[in-house]
Amino acid sequence: MSTIVLDGVSRWYGNVVAVNDVTMTVGPGITGLLGPNGAGKSTLISMMGGFLAPSAGTVRLDGGEVWRNPEIYRRVGLVPEAEAMYDMVTGWQFLLANARLHGLADPGAAARRALETVDMLEPADRPISTYSKGMKQRVKMATALVHDPAVLLLDEPFNGMDPRQRLHLMDLLRRLAAEGRTVLFSSHILEEVEQVADTIEVLVAGRHAASGDFRRIRRLMTERPHQYTIASSDDRRLAAALVAAGAADGVTLQGGSLAVQTSDWGRFVHALPQVARQSGVRLLDVSPADESLESVFAYLVAR
Amino acid sequence: MSDLQPAAAPAPGAPAGGAPAGDVIHDIGFRHYDGPRYGRGWIVRSLLVDTVRGVFGLGRPARSKVMPWALVAILAVPPIIIGLIVLLVGGDDPPITYTQFLYQFNVPISLFVAGAAPYAVSRDLRHGVLPLYLSRPLVRTDYVAARYGGLVLAVFAILAVPQTLLLIAALLAKLDVGAQLVGWAGGLAMSALLALLLSAVGLAIAAFTPRRGLGVAAIITVLIVVQGFSFALSGLAYGQDAEGLAVLAGALDPYRLIDGLAVWLLGADPVIPDFAPTDAGQGAVFVLVYVVALAAFGGLLLQRYRKAGRL
Amino acid sequence: MSPSASEPVPTGSGPAIVARGLTKRFGKVTALSDLTVEMPTGVVGLVGANGAGKSTLIKILLGLLPPTSGEARILGLDAATDGLAIRQVVGYMPESDCLPPDVSATELVVHLARMSGLPGTAARERAADTLRHVGLYEERYRPIGGYSTGMKQRVKLAQALVHDPRLVLLDEPTNGLDPAGRDEMLELIRRIGTEFGISVLVTSHLLGELERIADHVVVIESGVLQRSTSTAEATALSGSVLVEVTDRAADVVARLRASGAQVEVPDDGATTFAVDLADEAVLDAVAAAAADLGVGLVRMQRRRHHLTELFREAAR
Repeated sequence: MSTIVLDGVSRWYGNVVAVNDVTMTVGPGITGLLGPNGAGKSTLISMMGGFLAPSAGTVRLDGGEVWRNPEIYRRVGLVPEAEAMYDMVTGWQFLLANARLHGLADPGAAARRALETVDMLEPADRPISTYSKGMKQRVKMATALVHDPAVLLLDEPFNGMDPRQRLHLMDLLRRLAAEGRTVLFSSHILEEVEQVADTIEVLVAGRHAASGDFRRIRRLMTERPHQYTIASSDDRRLAAALVAAGAADGVTLQGGSLAVQTSDWGRFVHALPQVARQSGVRLLDVSPADESLESVFAYLVAR
Repeated sequence: MSDLQPAAAPAPGAPAGGAPAGDVIHDIGFRHYDGPRYGRGWIVRSLLVDTVRGVFGLGRPARSKVMPWALVAILAVPPIIIGLIVLLVGGDDPPITYTQFLYQFNVPISLFVAGAAPYAVSRDLRHGVLPLYLSRPLVRTDYVAARYGGLVLAVFAILAVPQTLLLIAALLAKLDVGAQLVGWAGGLAMSALLALLLSAVGLAIAAFTPRRGLGVAAIITVLIVVQGFSFALSGLAYGQDAEGLAVLAGALDPYRLIDGLAVWLLGADPVIPDFAPTDAGQGAVFVLVYVVALAAFGGLLLQRYRKAGRL
Repeated sequence: MSPSASEPVPTGSGPAIVARGLTKRFGKVTALSDLTVEMPTGVVGLVGANGAGKSTLIKILLGLLPPTSGEARILGLDAATDGLAIRQVVGYMPESDCLPPDVSATELVVHLARMSGLPGTAARERAADTLRHVGLYEERYRPIGGYSTGMKQRVKLAQALVHDPRLVLLDEPTNGLDPAGRDEMLELIRRIGTEFGISVLVTSHLLGELERIADHVVVIESGVLQRSTSTAEATALSGSVLVEVTDRAADVVARLRASGAQVEVPDDGATTFAVDLADEAVLDAVAAAAADLGVGLVRMQRRRHHLTELFREAAR
């Protein structure tokens, strides 16, 4: 079990502040690092992996500083976004070389295991130049796994993947996390993060904007009223009753459903079943309309 | 045209029957197009005209007008001066013939082609614009033909205008009208041949050097090197009394090639008499070299576009 | 030159694209294999593996590449013989970078409108209108080199629409866009398919997007058709309801089970669980349980199927 702790970390290039005073803890499980393009995700990942020094603050892995500490490379695997690879060697040769470079006791076995994990054992004897983009991605992953790291950092790993490749990678990440590893990946595509991350960390313009489960973050966003979409057996009656009970700020009748706005979420969700029963209306569907990661994200980016 | 459009969204706010004229909200939603759609021929012509205009910097920022028009001036002013000289000093013939003009001013002409050819093809190749053309109602070769035709027209124009100025000056100086017209016509014919060849060479080189600035340098280098080499070869051969070879070496330089054709086909005065073709064999070689060169560079250009357009 | 009256004319009804036994081979590589599929008018999403298959299909649909065997008809026109006619009525938005940086959006779109055969005045007017529809305002007069990714995508879309095509092929239109830009682009695509009355074929990897805007989804992998289904069918309501309460979930579940409902609880302590929707009375039971126990009803949602399931169910 490994934990990365960032404390007041900043990184600037002259006047350009790529990462601005970020404090966060990344523990076991899958964490999604989310942010618009240029938010500083790649920079943050580089600092976590020890490839870049913070301009201010500290990055620690299990208590030890990460920068200028070659020891941490035993425990961290980094899968960068860049695509360039050594085309002439075969997958197997590349993995073996990596395993040897890590100084592993049994490089052959480690290489084999890594290739197995990413399902690339069969094509391993062909040169990397013959691989498709997806296969090259998997080889990259294998090199990050060959030394069995406790921490895996992936920079935009789902970029350009088709749905099947994406499912494979998500399954792989889940497996790795289930083994107790700390997995962090970055993305600017919300639907990818939604499906696989236990926790999300949101980065906006270098600032750490939010952290946690996106649904619970939405609850925390008390400044913005909650929106609900309700389908019932009698929308009008329910609408009137909700307003009368003071459970909603606004109700809108829209086609076959009711759109409800409420600034007191707790009051609304408790009142809803009561009000429905009292007015004899059957609830058919109760859905929060703005709790999607997209909605949370849009809100966080706009602040 | 048959009724093909799917039902457009009903116009919002269109007044119900009986609303007074004058109070209305117009529909500015997406409009469908019922008008004419011209075919390949029109499109190619349109692209050709765009290319000519672009070569001269029309419809482009001011700095792209400097080079072409400066070269136009460099090419047009001397004939005016020559014309004035003829007018003032008199004489039977202008000091330079129409076809000799093409050789004597080969540097500015080459510079013009070196600047124009990359504009015509390199930009689109560099930025991958071809898919936007290929997905339109034209064929790959149409695009190449339009660009080529545009460049040929532009090069021909910068050759024809000075020659015409020369003609005007000669006529004003009351030189023999018949002879001058014949010379002028011959000059235009050779200008056309030169334009066709230089454009093919220029575009072929530009198509393989899409990097910014590389095309210009490559074209001018090739033309100058080829010229120098050809001249050196001729000189060497002449020095060894291999006069036939001295003549044939001229076929390597596009300008001397055209001059040779002018001498052989039109009986024009050669630029360098010692190196001019004098018999049928040499003449035939010149013609053959011209045709082969045109086909080769043209073919190279088309070949480049076969692969292009990563559509 | 007179308008090309001799070109074949697209038909008004029927599916937008029909492929029958469509096969394309390049030497040893088979890019498309015996593809037989009908894509209806409206918005169709094309998903699947990257690689030769997608770009080959697009080239064939644009009439630029003849099939090795089989046939493809776009708006009734034969892809193998009516290429020019097809490209008159079809628009294409490439995935790749294809915009020259030194001209403005207006200049480019007007030029390309003319390259589609529109006379000068119509080209200018339609370019201006189309740029407005895609959401480019004053920036349209500045050189494209200075545009953001979102603006560049809009220019690419504008040139695909300017000649009023009957069908547009959009290749990964949301590529490189951040969530807000993605939203806007998807909304634009939806409008094209509905308000503008133009059929759309969109390629995308992102199933969530396609669920939002596509009426129909086609899945092609390694050049072979995997599924062709309407989105409605693929995202039909499943037979269970997702329920979330603020607290005392265990009590609520106990009550529901006592009344005979089948309840699936993911793990102890969770506030969310799934209830089999045997009939609508179950919904009453949930609400009643919440009301009785005085807990808040956070959600009670009929679960839907997702497009991702299409990929899971096909054998790995």
